[in-house]
Amino acid sequence: MHLLSRSKWPAFVGLAPAFLIYILFAIVPILISFYYSVMRWDGFTEMEFVGLANFQEALTDPIFWQSLKNNLYVVGASVFGQIPIALFIALLLNRKIKGGKFFRTVGFMPVVISTVIISLVWGMMYNSRIGLFNQLLESIGLESLTQNWLGDPKWSMISVCITIIWQFVGLYLIIFLAALQNIPEEIYEAARIDGASGLKQTFYITLPMMWDSIIVAVILCISGSLRTFDLIYVMTSGGPGHSTEVMAMYMFEQTFSSTRYGYGSALSLFIFFFSLALVYLSTRILRRKSV
Amino acid sequence: MLKKIRSHSLFIAMLVLVLMLSACSGDDTSSGSSGGDGDKVELTFWNIWTEPSPQNEASLKQIEKFNKEHPNIVINQQSIPHDQFKVKVKTQAAGKQLPDLVQVFPGAELKPLVDGKLVQPIDNILSNWDDLIKEGQLGDYRVDGKQYALPANITPTSLVYYDKDMLKEAGYDEFPQTYDEFKKLIKTLKSNDTIPIALGNKAQWVLQSSYISTIGDRMTGSEFLSEVLNGDKKFTDEKFIDAVNVIKELSDMEAFNEDFNSIDNIQHRDLFAMGDAAMMIDGAWSLGPLLESVPDKNIGIALFPQIDGGEGDPSAVSAVTGTGIALNSELEGEDLEAAQEFLKSFYSEEYYQNLMKADILVAADIEPPSDISPLLREVSKLTNGQIAPVYDATLPTDVTDTINSGLQEVTLGTMTPEELAKQLQKAVEKSK
Repeated sequence: MHLLSRSKWPAFVGLAPAFLIYILFAIVPILISFYYSVMRWDGFTEMEFVGLANFQEALTDPIFWQSLKNNLYVVGASVFGQIPIALFIALLLNRKIKGGKFFRTVGFMPVVISTVIISLVWGMMYNSRIGLFNQLLESIGLESLTQNWLGDPKWSMISVCITIIWQFVGLYLIIFLAALQNIPEEIYEAARIDGASGLKQTFYITLPMMWDSIIVAVILCISGSLRTFDLIYVMTSGGPGHSTEVMAMYMFEQTFSSTRYGYGSALSLFIFFFSLALVYLSTRILRRKSV
Repeated sequence: MLKKIRSHSLFIAMLVLVLMLSACSGDDTSSGSSGGDGDKVELTFWNIWTEPSPQNEASLKQIEKFNKEHPNIVINQQSIPHDQFKVKVKTQAAGKQLPDLVQVFPGAELKPLVDGKLVQPIDNILSNWDDLIKEGQLGDYRVDGKQYALPANITPTSLVYYDKDMLKEAGYDEFPQTYDEFKKLIKTLKSNDTIPIALGNKAQWVLQSSYISTIGDRMTGSEFLSEVLNGDKKFTDEKFIDAVNVIKELSDMEAFNEDFNSIDNIQHRDLFAMGDAAMMIDGAWSLGPLLESVPDKNIGIALFPQIDGGEGDPSAVSAVTGTGIALNSELEGEDLEAAQEFLKSFYSEEYYQNLMKADILVAADIEPPSDISPLLREVSKLTNGQIAPVYDATLPTDVTDTINSGLQEVTLGTMTPEELAKQLQKAVEKSK
């Protein structure tokens, strides 16, 4: 510390390579993205400066808004699905029950399986003709409840979200379990002496003590949901219609399949700012409750 | 002292950055090709012939032959796998660094290269192929009335594969000739509890490439797309809407398996192969895999039937041609002559014969060799008539995206054919 306060340059030199790489591969592309976003360019012919036309188009593009809505849907399903379920299971597993390790492993398994495989397997389970779900419903006499899960725009988004929730519950489960194990046993002992019941312990000790972990989980959850791409891409390719289109996929299609680099860049900037705003907002809301 | 070191470290940092950047931008493949040593003309040529498929081998043989017969011309060829090839051409084209000869893909893939003035027309040597390649087979490589490459193989995208045994069971010895009869057949099959037509449109291009490309042609005729693109006609034309209505009608009468929006085209081929469905509408690319997986199946192949009130040729089928080679727009003089000589030698009758022997339909007017498979012979006979343009090989990519997802929405009932037509017209006008 003493050395650093006298001359800072060795620290700068040490940091320089990492900093350079960061600039080159993170900051510069974002700046280039800004540059492209005011252009019309198909990758072949001359670039043409179009000002803010791309942004204007994005604001009036119904499919972009649809994809944003779907993205919010995913965020909602993740935050209010994954986190409460993970928390609930973590609280259960934290007691000394038989086979706790086994359940933990099973719970974490979906996180390590490749998303493509998950998408294909769930896609088959959802299949309306030969899929597991419809056959189950039929076999217990609930034929009226069978649906064309992925092929009907009314159900496609819900079906996709269920898979997303299933896939990531394990991740938050592990985070919460780690947090739970860091709460010192003495606090509970003191609470027991004061006569606090199990439920009271959960609400007045456990949850406040692990609040920081919950915040981290929420942020991870939001940013992960906004980036979501592969699972939906394999399961439905955004269809049917545009009913399961999300922003990252729409941006990808516009940029690389429609070769509209400018418009795609504008969309990606929207995603960038939107994610920033949402994460900021959620931390503000959650911090206030923090103890 | 400190200041000096600081400026030094800044200098070193800059130096590192410059070195890193310059390391990235090495390896210039310039297209300048002039002469070289002595009188030899060297030409660079990029293609996608990396796999040892019969078609690629036939193509490589043509180059070998040319090199042997022309000692003064050297073709330096580079084979790049298909997907990387497309990316490489796109990036190199952006930097105006294409090779002298480059393999090109038809229609919408070729147009940006032409618009970017990267390739040059070959109209002045076109008469060389008058007897070999029919006028109607040239269209895919023609932009604004100029020819930029020649087709070698041809791939029909819209054939009706049917199970002869299942149709016989339903009382049909022949495939129906008109759309009305076709609908009757579908109803009969439905009442027999079989899926009439297997469809997997999850990836969205199937309804476009294998359905609307031919059905649209039945209604509008083959000039429609180019007329729409140059502004003489509009997608809101009644005939086009009628064509979309055919797809809507088929989906409304539940001619397809109910999960057609959540399975892909491989899965729909399986449905047909396993005998769960009586028909499927698919491209010629399914012929090989089908023959391989169910060699004993009694398969018939037909074209989509005639539709009443249509303006198109009922024997037309949408097909896309391939293996075109375009010339760099910067070629001139001796180099240009050498390149043209190469094209003349490459697209010879012998080449087309070799392709046919490899079970590939060709875009040339030649007698098929006697030992090709009977089903391929049938397809060849069916596609001998008029060739109709495939939508995604003709329309700009963002218009293609619109029709791809739009057709899916039409089958779901979330969009009417009229709305789709309006959207398409808007997309065409925007892409100008």
